[in-house]
Amino acid sequence: MRDVWIAAAAMTRFGRREESLENLMADAALEALRDADRQPDALVVTSMAPEEFVGEGNFASHIGTYLGLSRVPSLRVETATSSGAAALYAGFALIASGFHTNVLVAGGEKMTHASTPRVSEIISRVIDPHERSYGATMPALAAMVARAALAKGLFSESDMARVAVKNHANGARNPYAHFQKPVTMEEVMSSRVIADPLRLQHCCPISDGAAAILLTADPTGTKLAGMGQGSDYLAVRYRSSLTGFRATQDAAKAAFRMAGFGPERVQVAEIHDAFAPFEILALEDIGLFPNGKATKAVQNGELMLEGRLPVNPSGGLKARGHALAATGLAQAVEIVWQLTGRAWGRQVKAKVGLAHSIGGMATNNWVTLIEQVA
Amino acid sequence: MMEIINGSRCPECGLVVAPPVRICPRHPREMVTVELFGYGSILSYTTLTAAPEGFKPPLHIAMVELLPGGARIFCHGKETRALKIGRRVAIEQMDGIFYFASLDITDRVSMFWKRRGAAPQRTRDAVKSAVKRFLSVYKNGGTAPPSSANQEEKKHAEKK
Repeated sequence: MRDVWIAAAAMTRFGRREESLENLMADAALEALRDADRQPDALVVTSMAPEEFVGEGNFASHIGTYLGLSRVPSLRVETATSSGAAALYAGFALIASGFHTNVLVAGGEKMTHASTPRVSEIISRVIDPHERSYGATMPALAAMVARAALAKGLFSESDMARVAVKNHANGARNPYAHFQKPVTMEEVMSSRVIADPLRLQHCCPISDGAAAILLTADPTGTKLAGMGQGSDYLAVRYRSSLTGFRATQDAAKAAFRMAGFGPERVQVAEIHDAFAPFEILALEDIGLFPNGKATKAVQNGELMLEGRLPVNPSGGLKARGHALAATGLAQAVEIVWQLTGRAWGRQVKAKVGLAHSIGGMATNNWVTLIEQVA
Repeated sequence: MMEIINGSRCPECGLVVAPPVRICPRHPREMVTVELFGYGSILSYTTLTAAPEGFKPPLHIAMVELLPGGARIFCHGKETRALKIGRRVAIEQMDGIFYFASLDITDRVSMFWKRRGAAPQRTRDAVKSAVKRFLSVYKNGGTAPPSSANQEEKKHAEKK
């Protein structure tokens, strides 16, 4: 297996964007190509639901042609809300296998033009049909997970709010974030209830945006050290535990095994905080904290920018935003920027970073490890 | 007395799921259909104040583990305010949709009389058939096969 390196990482600002999906993806992709100063010999494209959101099909060829790369072999990868990480994995495999040398991975989503109930319905299609037929949305299932965790005493409603406050504080320093202003504990804990016990300020926004990464077989100093995928039943009700995600646990094990090091080397992490309590659960599922210690870390401020392990310096899904298929790539972009000293305004000291992405209700999760070796 | 819910059981690993599916979610093995009782305990629940297209808020949803058997189902309810994880509930089925209702002593008694009427003979029959059914459950590893006891009960219900 060949080593795989990152030659360039770029993204658009997330948020409510006027540009088309094609133009958002082109902005990110062209910047990555310029930065890397090399042409791709393969293209991996991702968007979770362009058929529903923007009415485009045959999406790999559509974007390939739009980017002026119609002769470059292209494919589209999709694993629900973790599609960006899945696309990165496909690019990784294309190079590690020796099939290709330079692979452009580009992901984007455009959905703020649709009404919230419509967006909610489209995203809900990632849920098991029986559960969905009862009106179970992503916030509904996340609320059930949060309720079970609260009942077990894993964390409190204040701890959930602390995560949102921290991530907003980071987003306020990130010019690429959807929300660039802080929120207070009071604002979070008095925001309107979406799915009891989850409030609006525990939930990520609906965002537009795109991100792109150029992977290469030529050593650049920024190494894609390991990637792991984990899966679980589509139906939440088949699972033995509601308060931990097997898909995250398996993804982390696989990623660390591939990288040849353990969680103790990780110095910065981007975690899939689509719902604030997920950040706390993921930190333990990944092994960054022993069971029962992640909540303490939230309370002690260990996860803040100046803390022992900065988590979601970009603002996370909560503040940077969640543009579905762009998110997994945007997390990797943030880690690359942190490792290479380009995270202006929110820079932390780190040589090893981790990105964690959840697909659906934790049915197809990914953990990515990136290491700066030069 | 109790709603019968269709489910499926894996002949290899014993996993019971509802609604029934063709293949065991744990491995590629065809499942067999079983009948389960509409009685269980709350695993988790929520009330949606922002409901998706096709639903009116507030929307009360619970995940219930059926006892015995262990299959979990989603259901609607009238409210979740007084609910707690672990609370025993009865499941009712209307138009193929499951609904939960809390199952304290008074609920159980009223449900019982509502369904069975007051005739003492019918009550004795119902108790007998319920006992039979529970015995068959424990013999069959937590699931109720479509037994004669069940059919007797269905007849009773139809007569009413």
